[in-house]
Amino acid sequence: MRAILPILLLLALLAAAVLLDRPRQPADLTFINRGEVHTLDPQRMSWLQDFRIADSIYEGLVRWDNDTFEILPGVAESWDISADGLTYTFHLRGNARWSNGDPVTAHDFVYAWRRALFPDTAAGYADLFYRLRGGQEFFNWRRGQLATFVEEARGLSEVRRRQLAQQRLDEARRRFDETVGLAAQDDRTLIVTLEVPTPYMLDLLAFGPFMPVHPPTVEAHVSLDPATGSLRQRHGWTKPPHLIGNGPYVLSVWRYKRDLRLERNDRYWNAGSVGSDSVLCVYVEDANTAVLAYKTGSIDWLSDVSVDYRADMMAQKQRYMVRNAARSDELEAEGLGYNEIMAVLARESPPLPGERNDIHAFAAYGTYFFNFNCQPTLNSGAFNPFKDARVRRAFSRSVDKHAIVDRVTRMGQPVAHTLIPPGSIAGFSGAEGLQYDPAMARRELAEAGWSDRNGDGLVEDESGSPFPTVEILFPSSTEHKAISQAIANMWERELGVRTRLREEETKVAGTHLVEHNFMVARGNWFGDYGDPTTFLDIHRTGNSNNDRNYSNPVFDDLMARSDAELDPEKRMRLLEEAEAMIENDAAPLLPLFHQVTLYMYDPARLRNISTHPRLTQFLHELEVVR
Amino acid sequence: MTAMLIRRLVQVPLILLVIYTVTFALAWLLPGNPLDKPEGRRPPVEVQEAMKAQYSLDNPFKFYISYLDQASGLAWLRDRGRGGGDEAAAERPIFNLGPCLQYEDWSVNEIIGGALPVSIVLGLVALVFALAIGLAAGVVGAVRPGSWMDVSSLLVALIGISLPSFVIGTALLIVFAVWLEWVQVAHWGSPRDLLLPALTLSLPFAAYIARLTRLGMIEVLSADFIRTARAKGVSETRIVLRHALKVAFLPVLSYLGPAAAYVMTGSFIVEKVFNIPGLGQHFVNSVLNKDLFLIMGVVLTYSTMLVLFNLTVDILYRWVDPRIEQA
Repeated sequence: MRAILPILLLLALLAAAVLLDRPRQPADLTFINRGEVHTLDPQRMSWLQDFRIADSIYEGLVRWDNDTFEILPGVAESWDISADGLTYTFHLRGNARWSNGDPVTAHDFVYAWRRALFPDTAAGYADLFYRLRGGQEFFNWRRGQLATFVEEARGLSEVRRRQLAQQRLDEARRRFDETVGLAAQDDRTLIVTLEVPTPYMLDLLAFGPFMPVHPPTVEAHVSLDPATGSLRQRHGWTKPPHLIGNGPYVLSVWRYKRDLRLERNDRYWNAGSVGSDSVLCVYVEDANTAVLAYKTGSIDWLSDVSVDYRADMMAQKQRYMVRNAARSDELEAEGLGYNEIMAVLARESPPLPGERNDIHAFAAYGTYFFNFNCQPTLNSGAFNPFKDARVRRAFSRSVDKHAIVDRVTRMGQPVAHTLIPPGSIAGFSGAEGLQYDPAMARRELAEAGWSDRNGDGLVEDESGSPFPTVEILFPSSTEHKAISQAIANMWERELGVRTRLREEETKVAGTHLVEHNFMVARGNWFGDYGDPTTFLDIHRTGNSNNDRNYSNPVFDDLMARSDAELDPEKRMRLLEEAEAMIENDAAPLLPLFHQVTLYMYDPARLRNISTHPRLTQFLHELEVVR
Repeated sequence: MTAMLIRRLVQVPLILLVIYTVTFALAWLLPGNPLDKPEGRRPPVEVQEAMKAQYSLDNPFKFYISYLDQASGLAWLRDRGRGGGDEAAAERPIFNLGPCLQYEDWSVNEIIGGALPVSIVLGLVALVFALAIGLAAGVVGAVRPGSWMDVSSLLVALIGISLPSFVIGTALLIVFAVWLEWVQVAHWGSPRDLLLPALTLSLPFAAYIARLTRLGMIEVLSADFIRTARAKGVSETRIVLRHALKVAFLPVLSYLGPAAAYVMTGSFIVEKVFNIPGLGQHFVNSVLNKDLFLIMGVVLTYSTMLVLFNLTVDILYRWVDPRIEQA
């Protein structure tokens, strides 16, 4: 009896627990996102996986064509741009509806964008809204107002504090309406006034942070904090059943690090364009398990392949493509795109053992590089050889990037000579950048005063002191380590310098980058919008992403002139000049290769995956052929 | 018994306070900014400051006190005493473990509330497996020491302890999910999904239990009272299962307390391989992300469970073996 009681208890507990949980239901499209969604509040988002879901449950004024990234109408059916490029008038369509049936109005956009410019919201992309007239000024004004609130409220009772916070908030809202270039003329007309003409403004408006939110829902979750006087948000509104969107899908399930489910939104004005009735986004933590799940057929699309053996999978794909090269060329000549070619090949010539056709590498809108510290001295106060552009150019020219891509990373990445992936921005022709040329590299190093004077194989300056040991900082990972090792060897061999690898935990390495506490450091950058400034801005003096601390008044001036330039053609020429200055001459960073994204899907089953480098995939356009 | 219980219960909050203090100090000293993304774009300085301002991360002492206030339930009691407070206060749970810094839409309570039941179910099943396998192997080995059955059970125990669970787990997945298609990969929520991960998780425990049982059994089987039982003509099965196992089980029981806490708070690796939404992953990920609130939430949950399970085992011990009470 004594033994049976605990066992019975245990079994009852187990049965209850198992019955209480429910497995996920199958959907028309099942995919694995790049990671768990961080937030579904569009104004606070900053991760690709979040934007991918946002594109499904919200819709901005305009949207991108998934294949060409041209601007298509969204909630706005048309718009007028003033001759000076400063005023945009959007005409909202009458049949745009929230998922609860409320009409989507111009006031909803004002509400959402105002949230982004309130520092209380802590929006990571708040600075995108600085392009609105008075936006930056308002953001800083409200920060000042909150700082003085704490002083003023000291010693007041809680009731008085609440009253004071409310007064300040009312004042801030009035000020926003008066000073920021954003106004709803009526329910269906939104007028946006900019600080400077921004030719890529429409491209920005299709981006997640500019999507509207349903004001009554959000407002019910916001309260004033009497301690700080700022608005505090409770995040419950981003979860079903509270979340109200205006996009092709509604969110029906979201279980943290388990799954997220979308169902067709019948109230969406363009519901006819929605391919799958339901979409299931499954979270899988382990890269290897994700590949196994794909192999069993329960996953239609794996949107990020990060297993260690991915290079071997790419080699199997390569074998398949080589065997079918003739037919593939033929189909390409007929004008078929990548996905159509792969679908035809899958039908005509299934992969043999040792081959595969379900892994796909697409060029991404980003670049892998190494930063040179451009400060006059290192943080430690030590001499910094990389303050000299000639040294930076020499180090750039002595790296054989093809060797790294072919033998170290082995994923078919295109080698990079510029930060901006060539051809990724319409109307912009990029610079040539510094090519591999070890002899030229040694000459430039000698011009900078570094040559082997005593025949020991290492370079010294005029006084005979050797080149400081080049320390290469990178975040802990097998890939970064292998790449850093490879370039270190090339520098030792070609230039006669000593190197040292400095591997740090990811967060620690990140902190060193922010503090410019490095000599050479691995870096990575992805563009946010379709304009060269999304890459070039990081070289501006004082930019928060200028890890190199590069500062050049001539470059800053060029960028400022491009900001003020009204003629889009002339503006692009100024930006080309600025890019050439960086890539051909100043070399604050050494671009290594342009990033690729690896997907797994069966080309005969999954339709409409976009191959555009911007990596957005509109879930409502994807379809699975059963 | 009652005096012991009261004494131990009073100790619980003190132990937790010490654990909280040490964890807080270590977590606060972790390098890096919890709000920074590991890769990619950083907003301008004023935006970064606005992001930081939402979680009073500027003063460690203020943070230490206010977290203690919220997590211990004192703040909740105060709110109730005052008659509710505002709507934000009404939504707050009794033990408020704060927001998750990385996954901003979730609170630590929601995360632990979702993950803990999963880990408990998986842990209980694994514990049952471990007991069944371990006791069986241990008894078999002890009854015929040196026989082929003993050697093979020892071998299984050796494999269970030395093979890492990501190898066993992946191998089980490839055989049963990819080849035989009996179970699904990365699927959770139906009883069938429990089998492979519970088996993987149970093996090291089973191995340890087998060793404990075998040693205990061999010792007990040569004891006087067993000889008496044999002399009385009691059947061998009855001797082993009823008389000997009861005594040999005691060391296993004392091991079950910490084992239960460990097995129920999840194993990072088993959860990763089988994609189980349990608690184990948060131990590792929260530290990597420097997610202060989550780190403290999972550590406090784990320590509470560990302390309570040890207490339970002590009580069970007295119940099973009255000699302890007298001693």
